[in-house]
Amino acid sequence: MIDHLDRSLRGETSTETQERIDNDPELTREYRFLRLAVDAIQDTGLYEEVGTVKEQWKIQQTAVAKPTGGIVRSITRNAAKIAAILILMAGGAAFWKYATISSGSLYNKYYTSYSLNTSRGAGDEDAMDKAYQAKDWQTVIASFNPAKRTNKTDFLTGMADLELKKYTEAIEHFEQIMAANAQAGTDYFQDEAQYYLAISWLAKDKVNEALPILEKIRADKNHLYHDKVEQMSFWDLRLVQYKESK
Amino acid sequence: MKVAVKYTDAELIVAVREEQSRNKAILFIYQQYAASTSSFIINYGGSEQDADDVFQETVVSFIEVVKKGNFRMEASIKTFLVSVARNIWFNELKKRERSGHREKIFEYGRDQKEADISHEIGDLEKKRQLRELVNNLGEPCKKILMLFYYENLSMKELVEHLPYENEQVVRNKKYKCLQTLTGFIKSNPAIAQQISEIVKS
Repeated sequence: MIDHLDRSLRGETSTETQERIDNDPELTREYRFLRLAVDAIQDTGLYEEVGTVKEQWKIQQTAVAKPTGGIVRSITRNAAKIAAILILMAGGAAFWKYATISSGSLYNKYYTSYSLNTSRGAGDEDAMDKAYQAKDWQTVIASFNPAKRTNKTDFLTGMADLELKKYTEAIEHFEQIMAANAQAGTDYFQDEAQYYLAISWLAKDKVNEALPILEKIRADKNHLYHDKVEQMSFWDLRLVQYKESK
Repeated sequence: MKVAVKYTDAELIVAVREEQSRNKAILFIYQQYAASTSSFIINYGGSEQDADDVFQETVVSFIEVVKKGNFRMEASIKTFLVSVARNIWFNELKKRERSGHREKIFEYGRDQKEADISHEIGDLEKKRQLRELVNNLGEPCKKILMLFYYENLSMKELVEHLPYENEQVVRNKKYKCLQTLTGFIKSNPAIAQQISEIVKS
């Protein structure tokens, strides 16, 4: 039924299958749920697309906002000079910030190493744990066995990749954890993977990928990294998003 | 504010329909119409955040109406947007049970001869609930479904965007994710009931 739905959405209809669905109330019901799910995805996509443009518009508005004439007229000439200097300085600082800010600079600002909590590994100090604690990143990566992967080994290997600036590999490990959790309905290393996935996207200059994850963490007060993300400057992140979208 | 691209109403409709020009069209809509619509919301008891949210929903509804080919150009886009925003805000006020503000809206609405556009906006509350369910899917599932059903990427293109080995793995993953979302929807009593009634009728 999903194949039929996918094909019909792309203009390839099968009359026979459609008739079968229309003539069976149970299939009709199932099909409507699937259509509703797809409508929900498309509506969410559009809502987020409009939201992204809205944020760009807000940044533009802030950039072109000017002080009102009434305020300027009401201050003395000297005060106006001081204000002009301050505005120039603020403008210079803003220009400097705009010129120097990037996803990479935010990554450098927000990246902190992950300390392995030994109690979390059920007391087993295996080779990977030891190598990680010794900051021997190459050994951590070498001891990763895809056939015996767990969320923990994926996470530690991802962190070792991050330490060695192998961002693409790190992203693969963090996304694997989230995929595994989504599939199994678990949350083992989920918060850690989410946070460091966003940080890895920043390192790759992909703020558009990082921002939705960070927003989600900020909105979730129970998230392990909520406090850390709340201290981040979302204004800076949006400024980078605007800059990188140009 | 400088406007990079200017559109007539007819050009704006075309720009909204086309994926490549849609973002510029949305930006133009914000530049031209957000301020006046926001003033209206704020004058009728809303906060700046309310105005922000209502206008975003308004733009989404407008684009959906245009994409479905239901925008008939009987009124200007500005009139349409204001009508949609007013309708959304009115419903929001009803939901909040703020009778004082509701009376004001009734008074305001009495002089306005506008067609009922609520059927074009659809059930906003239901849409919000559904968006929440999509967001509850988790990032990997949401991403795969968005890329396929919203960005219209092929399976082959999905493999390039996602950390999965081949098309079959992506296909299986997408199947499971859509089933999960359908499961979420089925367990929402109000929506499930609505579907059952439509099927019975």
